[in-house]
Amino acid sequence: MADEFEPKIVAFLCKWCSSAGSDLAGVSRMQYPPNVIPITVMCSGSMSPLYILSAFKKGADGVLVSGCHPGDCHYIKGNFYARRRIALVKKLLEFIGLEPQRFQMSWVSAAEGTKYTQIIKDFVEELKPIGPQTKLRRSS
Amino acid sequence: MVNLEDLKKEAKRILEEGKIKYIIGYERSPNGMMSMPAFIKNPEDAERLTWDPSCVYNLTRFLVDEKRRKAKEKKPDTRPVAIVVKGCDSRAVVVLLQEKFINREDVYILGVSCEGAGVVDEKKLTEKLKGKKADKIEFSEKDHFLITSDGEKIKIPAQEILAERCLECRANFPVIYDEVLGEKVERRPEDPFKSIERIESLSKEERWAFWKEQLDKCIRCYACRSVCPMCYCDECVVDTISFAVAADTTAEEKAQKIKWIERSPDSSENFVYHLVRAIHLAGRCIDCGECERACPLDIPVRLLNKKLEKEAKELFDYEVGFDPEKPSLASSFKDDDPEDFIR
Amino acid sequence: MKRTGVFVCHCGINIAGTVDVKKVAKELSRHPGVAHAEEYVYMCSDPGQNLITEAIKEKKLDNVVVACCSPTLHETTFRNTSKEAGLNEFQCEIANIREQCSWVHKDMEKATRKAIKITKSAVERVRRNESLEPISIPVTRRALVIGGGIAGIQSALDLANSGYEVVLVERSPSIGGHMIQLSETFPTLDCSQCILTPKMVEVSKHPKIKLLTYSEVQEISGYVGNFKVKILKKPTYVDPDKCTLCDECTKVCPVVVSNEFDIGLTGRRAIYIPFPQAIPATYTLDIKSCPGLLPIACGKCADVCEPEAIDYDMKPDIIEEDIGAIIVATGYDLYDKGLMAEYGYGKYLDVLDGLQFERLCSASGPTQGKIIRPSDHKEPKEVVFIQCVGSRDPELHCAYCSKICCMYTAKHAMLYKHHVPDGQAYIFYIDIRSGGKGYEEFVQRAVEEDGVLYLRGKVSKIFEDKGKIKVWGVDTLTGKDIEIDADMVVLATAMRPSQGAGELAKKLKIAMDKDGFLSEAHPKLRPVESVTPGMFLAGAAQAPKDIPEAVAQASGAAAKAVAILSQERLFHAPTVAQVNLNLCTGCGMCVEVCPYVSLSLKDGKVEVNEVLCEGCGTCSATCLRAAIQVKNLTPLQVHEMIDASLGGR
Repeated sequence: MADEFEPKIVAFLCKWCSSAGSDLAGVSRMQYPPNVIPITVMCSGSMSPLYILSAFKKGADGVLVSGCHPGDCHYIKGNFYARRRIALVKKLLEFIGLEPQRFQMSWVSAAEGTKYTQIIKDFVEELKPIGPQTKLRRSS
Repeated sequence: MVNLEDLKKEAKRILEEGKIKYIIGYERSPNGMMSMPAFIKNPEDAERLTWDPSCVYNLTRFLVDEKRRKAKEKKPDTRPVAIVVKGCDSRAVVVLLQEKFINREDVYILGVSCEGAGVVDEKKLTEKLKGKKADKIEFSEKDHFLITSDGEKIKIPAQEILAERCLECRANFPVIYDEVLGEKVERRPEDPFKSIERIESLSKEERWAFWKEQLDKCIRCYACRSVCPMCYCDECVVDTISFAVAADTTAEEKAQKIKWIERSPDSSENFVYHLVRAIHLAGRCIDCGECERACPLDIPVRLLNKKLEKEAKELFDYEVGFDPEKPSLASSFKDDDPEDFIR
Repeated sequence: MKRTGVFVCHCGINIAGTVDVKKVAKELSRHPGVAHAEEYVYMCSDPGQNLITEAIKEKKLDNVVVACCSPTLHETTFRNTSKEAGLNEFQCEIANIREQCSWVHKDMEKATRKAIKITKSAVERVRRNESLEPISIPVTRRALVIGGGIAGIQSALDLANSGYEVVLVERSPSIGGHMIQLSETFPTLDCSQCILTPKMVEVSKHPKIKLLTYSEVQEISGYVGNFKVKILKKPTYVDPDKCTLCDECTKVCPVVVSNEFDIGLTGRRAIYIPFPQAIPATYTLDIKSCPGLLPIACGKCADVCEPEAIDYDMKPDIIEEDIGAIIVATGYDLYDKGLMAEYGYGKYLDVLDGLQFERLCSASGPTQGKIIRPSDHKEPKEVVFIQCVGSRDPELHCAYCSKICCMYTAKHAMLYKHHVPDGQAYIFYIDIRSGGKGYEEFVQRAVEEDGVLYLRGKVSKIFEDKGKIKVWGVDTLTGKDIEIDADMVVLATAMRPSQGAGELAKKLKIAMDKDGFLSEAHPKLRPVESVTPGMFLAGAAQAPKDIPEAVAQASGAAAKAVAILSQERLFHAPTVAQVNLNLCTGCGMCVEVCPYVSLSLKDGKVEVNEVLCEGCGTCSATCLRAAIQVKNLTPLQVHEMIDASLGGR
């Protein structure tokens, strides 16, 4: 068990919904695996594809982008732009043969601590069988 | 059929009127089979212009150069530049207009019809001619090219030597122009994304193997970038960017460069370069195929862009380069954009 | 290199129970640039804060990271602490190792490793933070209220009674809105005019309220606290100061047009007073129906006007106002009748909409409150009321529920029964939505006391037959076909945003929802604010709502506006977008995505209005040239945070 592969995941959480949702998971003392390092951004709309590619290049086994549900964006419509942009990045990454499980997007509201917990649990479980991400990771 | 004499006459006329700074068009190359870019300033030189299936270049790249040059001049000649555009190239003009990189009044567009065919792929033609040289390449009746080689005239079905992108072209007639030559011949490709579907049908690992083999070849000469009319950023994001490199940039600021991509030939760097480029061209690439043509390593770069063209069409019903007034792909959304991939 | 201090909080055992805080501090002390690292049991306590201030001074720290609970809790605390020690408040960042780490994990070793990464990531961020000062802007302490219905009236009065000057703009000749047209209001059956007119009079007499009727907002510029508004005052051709309301003019006016106050049930002259209690109490000459202003064309009204109040030379006036906050209360219209042909509206005289029925019931209405058929003036004995006409019909009409129709239809049926006790009222409904204080009881009263017959189902056909209006429908509860020979049909048509509201919204740069109602800033938590700072929403302009809701929102909007007007200066977070002009190509994509109109193109480059920018960063992700970024969360900072998160450093 000690040698079980532990995927490294970077989670970009929007400040107003998803980061607040992850805070709620904490306040409610929900438990999820410690594989995810959260980075809070102001809005999912501010997620540059460069951040995602950069995370993979630096060795992330998985990347999560999480924002407010459509219509709930603190900045009104940032998540709609994110949805479009992320869809394209996801399609492109799959096109070059990256495992689709490695890059995920979710809507997590400030009230959805349970959902956030489940997403992280599922993410880690899905990444374990496919092993480390080497395709885009810098070898040196 | 485009009457070449009409093109020359029109070119001569606009130059003589003096309202045009110069014309960017095509002329026969003194050596080689393909036509090359021509810059015509004097009315008498209009004779040199040509239009035939060997005019592969997307000349709109020169509009980008023209804008740069003009910006540096103290007293720039503000007359518009005329440019010869094919259907695909005209869409590049539309994108440049959409992105306000050029103004409509700064360009005089001479559209030419591809006559329902397109342009030839030099490699395919060379193979077809088995080493012989083509002296002249012409559009023939529908679906054929007429090649003159060593005085001999050979008719070749267009499908056999058309450039790959022309086989998937959905706009082989200019979508924007001041003057247009030739008729609109409808030729709808049966499957505009055939090349993409071929790769999509592979397994994930096969796709990875394919791209790994292709992109590992990349020597990062950036020819794809140099030739692309949409790669007009003053500073490319992949060139280890700086947020603020200017005359007044301090050393400390310079140290704050972001290394999104490093120069090493590591496979991952090549991948990230090409992926970033594809994403930056999403909703902007009009599939002129210049990147792929310019690649010295024959990497099918175009396919990455084409993939996103396909997704933009299928997911967002967005087609590039038809309406300069439309907001661009990345700066618009629909309430019901698909989100089945989101948890 | 900048000197960073790291302070790791135990939070009792909340953090220290799962995270080895000593190890975190030790690891961080080895991190490049970290000049000081320590842990303490409660960093937020006074002794804890003292540790921070002392370390800042003694170790000459440039910035600090506090690894503790969520920044939503103590970011302000620690930023103030840093400020006290002489740092700029933005030189302090929080690493959330409680909610996002210690509380959600049990494995101490793994949680500690994660806490270290989170903290390092915050260190990488803070060392590139700019020192910023809040952006300060002056405030013009006057408000503009657009729309003189009940919502606008309430907002204007609340603001004026709080001591602020208010400009109230109404496009029609009188304030009062739709409420003044109503007969009685549910659920108390209060007389609508009786409760509204005192407020209207208060508006007209209030020294702090500048009332501009027959006026429209033409242009608006500026930003919160500092709007400049141009208002077009249309000529009424009647001087209200001279007019004595003698009504001689209408007697001689040769033109009769449909009276909008009675929704076409009566006519009015080209010169008219909308209704007797109109505020301002004066006549208006409707230039569209007047045969001509030249005395040669008609001139009869001016001839008979003894006080010489009529002035054909009156010109439109443009009034400019400086305004600090704006409340938009543009109200509603009923759904376009032309679109409701299926119910025979417009075809049969005795098919009415809800507002027409209100006028019929109203004591001040065209029939002095007698309910009679417009066609033959006979008393209707069978009346069919149809709910959800145009509402809840996503295929053909509006997808949304108009909210008030269930209640006013119950009221209509009840009023009808009070006027015609031997008549029968039928109501076709899909559902009865009677949420609200006393509302359900009201509906029950209609059924039980007044014998109103509720039929669940939709009407399939309405047609005229031998002086009756035949209504065919299905009772979906019994499955039986229903056929009623009605004398009158009243349609509860959907509420729509009032005509022209969309155009106004564009001028104000307030977002609209898919139905054209004005969008609130947050559906749950900011229901009276628009997305544009300094602009607030009241009444049915935002969504269908009834009178008490409109009034409550109007008061809410007024309170929000007071929160701005009561300030001498406003402060705005300085973490806003900034542009690198060298890289900007002026494509304008950022301008398109910006939700706050804070970006604009000037001379081919984008420009940030820092006062309007909220710092969301969508512009920066959209920009292909990396020419725009948000201060203190720049791509470089995120890049370094990614690196730290993945254990790169």
